[in-house]
Amino acid sequence: MSDTTIQHHVESRDVTFRVHRFNPQVDSKPYFDDYTIKLEKGITVLRALNYIKEHVDSTVTFRAFCQAGICGSCAMRINGISKLACTTQVWDELDRSRETGIIRIEPLRNLPLIKDLVVEMDPLVGKMKKHSNWVDSRMPEDEWGKKEFLISEKEFLTYDKATDCILCASCVSECTILRAHQEYVSPAVLLKSYRMNVDSRDGIHDQRLAGLVKDHGVWDCTHCYRCQETCVKHIPIMDAIHGIREDAIERRGTKDTSGARHAEAFMDDIAKKGKLVEATLPIRTNGIAWTVKNLLPMAFKMVLKRRTPPPPPLVKASKGIDALRKEFREMTGHVTKDHQKKSGE
Amino acid sequence: MKRYAYYQSCINESMTKEVDRSIDLWQKDLGIEMVKMHESACCGGSNLDFVSPKHFALVNARNIALAEKQGLDLVVSCNTCLMTIRTAKKKLDESVELKREVNEILGKEGLEYRGTSQVRHLLWVLIDDVGLDTIRKKVKTPLSKLRIAPFYGCHILRPSSVLGKDDPLEPTSLDLLLDALGGKSIPYEHKNRCCGFHTLLVAEEESLNVAAEALREAMEAKADCIVTPCPLCHTVLDGYQAKALRQSGLRGSIPVFHLSEVVGLALGYSERQLGIRRHIVTV
Repeated sequence: MSDTTIQHHVESRDVTFRVHRFNPQVDSKPYFDDYTIKLEKGITVLRALNYIKEHVDSTVTFRAFCQAGICGSCAMRINGISKLACTTQVWDELDRSRETGIIRIEPLRNLPLIKDLVVEMDPLVGKMKKHSNWVDSRMPEDEWGKKEFLISEKEFLTYDKATDCILCASCVSECTILRAHQEYVSPAVLLKSYRMNVDSRDGIHDQRLAGLVKDHGVWDCTHCYRCQETCVKHIPIMDAIHGIREDAIERRGTKDTSGARHAEAFMDDIAKKGKLVEATLPIRTNGIAWTVKNLLPMAFKMVLKRRTPPPPPLVKASKGIDALRKEFREMTGHVTKDHQKKSGE
Repeated sequence: MKRYAYYQSCINESMTKEVDRSIDLWQKDLGIEMVKMHESACCGGSNLDFVSPKHFALVNARNIALAEKQGLDLVVSCNTCLMTIRTAKKKLDESVELKREVNEILGKEGLEYRGTSQVRHLLWVLIDDVGLDTIRKKVKTPLSKLRIAPFYGCHILRPSSVLGKDDPLEPTSLDLLLDALGGKSIPYEHKNRCCGFHTLLVAEEESLNVAAEALREAMEAKADCIVTPCPLCHTVLDGYQAKALRQSGLRGSIPVFHLSEVVGLALGYSERQLGIRRHIVTV
């Protein structure tokens, strides 16, 4: 019988890493290699990959640097979810594995593959450049380096979390819309754009905002929250995306993009009827021509199945709508006062 | 009989009427009563919050206050209504000033948001209050012949800081319910992903690509049908199915059921009674 007071037992076991492999110079298509190694509890996925590269197969290719969750280089999909290899515990992943004892390692999605687990970051960097993801200083150039350009702590708190982004591209990899269309701006770029747009030192807010509301921009986000849920720094990315939308509606109105018009329709309908008038939503969002072209064929099927939303006159207002309308108007008064106060500051 | 304030989602009152129709049929069989909230207003559908955050807080504080007035939890059967109303509740519970501002207005209608009623999805009520064992015992027609692809939809899972019931990336609740109904839920990657509904009118091509991916995966996994707890997901996966598959060059079709319909089927109700024949994809 062992004496547990003096013997230090370290849990260890064989773990298989099923690693995505692809060398475009040699392989016609990607494949997976299994590497089974004996590991102790407490080891990270990155340390395991380093062990494989040093002792088992030196050709396995991945990016890594700081080993401390700071540089963002080692983002990859581990058991299907994008995360940092250096902050991910092997034992945690064993609990999540679909096949017992096997951890699946794949490259990030939505970026071109270079080799094995390494993806090309240029498309992301290109989008960051396109949307000027830096503070374009309002300070005259001849004053640069001569005095500080300070911001208040209150202001900093509005983008404190956004500055935590390490550009690991996990959110890019998990983005639903980017997967559906590679031109989409991407969550990381929206986050950075928001962070720059709320910085009082920045001088190109309106220009940046005008770029963000174009096609494949901020209104194409489908609110799936995968970016936020998988962010390795727990940044509320959707708050930034909603922040840009709120800003766009406030400064540019709702006329220049279908996304803004779509959002405004909700406000109008609630104010009038307390509920959404779905029958006219496509027309109010995209106009009659788009609606006829895109939805008319489907409308016939829906009529046959008695699935069409009722026309506006037949949408009964919520019971108690008079009270709601009054409350809505009163809140509009509050919001107007807020805006006046904000513009006076 | 446990009672709930049942929030009637806009889409269930217009396009997906079969959801409320099926719940009406079986609710008493499971010992629950959904008391319809006729005075509630549209939650804002994940849109009002960035048009006007304060109107968003007001409308949803009022929705919850109406449930609180009856002393009941608010139950929804639409994922986006769930996420939206819970988001408002979180903001109200975290800000004394916002709560006070909203209550000053609601007070004139004799309402007060206190934060006492919980906001829950029908799926959660079935699992946590009715219980899987009870449901198992009530099943008359097990779904045993069906290989089911569960499709959770986003807003019952994410953001987890607002939802917090299931693992946002590895959910199990719907699988557990389908198991209790005698069905076999099959694994496939898209089950916790997006249907594309919220950009359908803004970026249709992208939305349909998203939907097609979900449908393709479910069909490749040899599922007989998809089941979803969200009428918005249903609208895309059923109503736009042919268009989505055509756009992606895919063939075939797969029936899509609402959660409330498969509960009804397992409890012995017919397709006609449950309104299943209203679907666009023939079952």
